[in-house]
Amino acid sequence: MGAESSSYTDRTDEWLVRRCSESDDEGAFAELVRRYSNPVFRLAVSILGQEFAPEAEDVAQDVMLRVHHALRTFRGEAKFASWIYRIAFNHALNVKARARYRAPHVSDEVLTTEPSDDRGPDDRLEADRRQKALLASVHELPEVYQSALRLHYWLGASMSEIAALLDAPENTVKSYLHRARRLLQAMLAERGYDAR
Amino acid sequence: MQDDEAMDQLLKTAFAAEAPRLSPAFDARVLRRVRPRHLAPLGRLVIAIYVVIAAAGAVWLMRDLPLESIALAATIGLPVAAGVGAYGRRLAVDG
Repeated sequence: MGAESSSYTDRTDEWLVRRCSESDDEGAFAELVRRYSNPVFRLAVSILGQEFAPEAEDVAQDVMLRVHHALRTFRGEAKFASWIYRIAFNHALNVKARARYRAPHVSDEVLTTEPSDDRGPDDRLEADRRQKALLASVHELPEVYQSALRLHYWLGASMSEIAALLDAPENTVKSYLHRARRLLQAMLAERGYDAR
Repeated sequence: MQDDEAMDQLLKTAFAAEAPRLSPAFDARVLRRVRPRHLAPLGRLVIAIYVVIAAAGAVWLMRDLPLESIALAATIGLPVAAGVGAYGRRLAVDG
């Protein structure tokens, strides 16, 4: 079993996909699940955001099941990783759109740390308000900016990981993050807050 | 530039909560869902006995009915039974 599973870990995605589609090889699909379940989950979390994070595992499971059903039709014109991340991105967007009709599971505030006690109550209140305004502003950004922000700041993803998940060059990801920060500054200013 | 760094710091604070993690049983659950399910030999035997008894019971119950009524019952009953069977199989696979 050990030798068998290591024979899968050394293989490329393309080889595994071919094995799955040609001979329904369960070991090959298990290796694809092992490689992609966590990145797909992180991408889903980054799109769903903090309120709908509990849905992310269901999204990741749906994506894996869809991929399993669709492997026979995968022609290999795009890289397997790009294909699965595209499915995950679109499915998470649909789930988010549906979930918005329901009450949020948790408040935005759970994302933030406890304010430090070395500040006065007025400062703390002001910082809390600015934090809430900032998180509310994040929701108004384009989806791809939101996803890049959450991946970078919340999930601690590297630039190369974000680039792979969003199927964009690293420089484009850096530009997404820069533009997102600029937009957030403007939004905060509109709400009467200073970023500093 | 200073504003960008200030916003960077603000975002780090705002997104400081622990990130959610995928449950350890996730991969196993996905693989269980895609694995085709087959009835155990004992299960097949039970289903076969049930089908034979149900068919014999239906024939015995309808022995005195006119042919039209039997045809009507078969027209309604067989598709319903097939539908319920297919639904049951789907539940077993999705479950």
